[in-house]
Amino acid sequence: MINVSFYLRRLHSLCGLVMLGGVLIEHLLTNASAMGGEAAFNQGLAMMELIPPPIFFAIEICFYAVPLLFHGIYGMYIANQAKNNPTEYGYSRNWKFALQRWTAWYLVVFLIWHVGYLRIYTKGIMGEHISYALVQSTLANPVVFGLYALGMFAAIFHFCNGITTFCMTWGITKGPRSQCVVDKMAMGLCALMCLFTLAFMSSYFIH
Amino acid sequence: MAEQKKTVKFIIERQDSPTSNPYTQEFEIPYRPALNVVASLMEIQKNPVTTDGKKVAPVVWECNCLEKVCGACMMVINGRARQACCTLIDDLEQPIRLQPARTFPVIRDLLIDRSVMFESLKRVQAWVEVDGSWEVKDAPIQNPYTATTAYEISHCMTCGCCLEACPNVGPQSDFIGASPSVQAYLFNLHPLGKFDKEKRLEALMGKGGITSCGNSQNCVEVCPKNIKLTTYLAQLNRDVNKQALKNIFNK
Repeated sequence: MINVSFYLRRLHSLCGLVMLGGVLIEHLLTNASAMGGEAAFNQGLAMMELIPPPIFFAIEICFYAVPLLFHGIYGMYIANQAKNNPTEYGYSRNWKFALQRWTAWYLVVFLIWHVGYLRIYTKGIMGEHISYALVQSTLANPVVFGLYALGMFAAIFHFCNGITTFCMTWGITKGPRSQCVVDKMAMGLCALMCLFTLAFMSSYFIH
Repeated sequence: MAEQKKTVKFIIERQDSPTSNPYTQEFEIPYRPALNVVASLMEIQKNPVTTDGKKVAPVVWECNCLEKVCGACMMVINGRARQACCTLIDDLEQPIRLQPARTFPVIRDLLIDRSVMFESLKRVQAWVEVDGSWEVKDAPIQNPYTATTAYEISHCMTCGCCLEACPNVGPQSDFIGASPSVQAYLFNLHPLGKFDKEKRLEALMGKGGITSCGNSQNCVEVCPKNIKLTTYLAQLNRDVNKQALKNIFNK
């Protein structure tokens, strides 16, 4: 007996938390250097460009593209199996269950735009280097700023709520008390990461 | 003080056949203390006349024990899955909306077909294979603490509240739901039932098994028997993960 859906589900959970959680934290840390000003940010990017292009490309495929596509595509299949009902059953966990799926749908659209425009079009096709000035001019549009902030908040919530459900799915937290403690810690982390994001995104217009 | 008769208003979602379109009708019955939803439906049955004076076919619903033991009268009352027999009118906001639990196929009005849960119980082998019996003194012993847990889970009356409230159970998904999953755990706790533990875990690892749980935790909130469903689901998650490791490395 090979239970394909069992292994896919567990892989989806693991891939989301470990691989994509890593991607999110890497993005937060890299972008946070913008708080140090133009020189600090561009220096960080220059450091990344020291990695030989074929290796860099392989990292992008293995650690970014494949996990993202798998988690995204299988995730859409999972989200379609839910009929969200937080208005009928307005418990906190049920709201988070619905939010997990709503943020997922926003992230599908947001990431197609983000990866498609910045990585594939700007960097890949136009051959432009990502720089402080480029990000600054992109975020100068208040609509773009808003959509990006929302995208970051969605990704952060999806990740943090994912920590709570990961602990349940893998049978780490069994009883209601331990589940509640992890939930509160994850939501605390979510708030911190959102504030941190807002700080480095606004820093472009403070320097 | 002007004597005004207190009444209870109902808005009932009705449906004439499994395939016909649902519609609503309003009924009003006299109030009496300690009135519950089943008693109200019986009152409507005596004189099935809507508030606008139309004589209609009596509302169809299902009930048996009238004491929250059989699970048959589960329906959606003011938007929430509950047992009609133990839901007191005094605790409800009026008008009271009654709807069938549409996670299951509707047969007529509030009557639903819950046989899908029986199929799920068969799938997870929710029974103990018995080959003969013992004298009490010779029978395999049961840990009394485990027995306490088993007693709690054995209260499950397959009413289907947990399935109705779960966003992952319904026509859009193949998830069997909390109740049948947790019954697998009950029989895994049994001194003889645990011989088939692996079979039950394998059944739960299949499509629509415990992996389809999305942790919305509505099940534990609505369970009329207060079974700690999410705790046992998490335990089952542990068990199936261990089983998966065994499947990978022991074969």
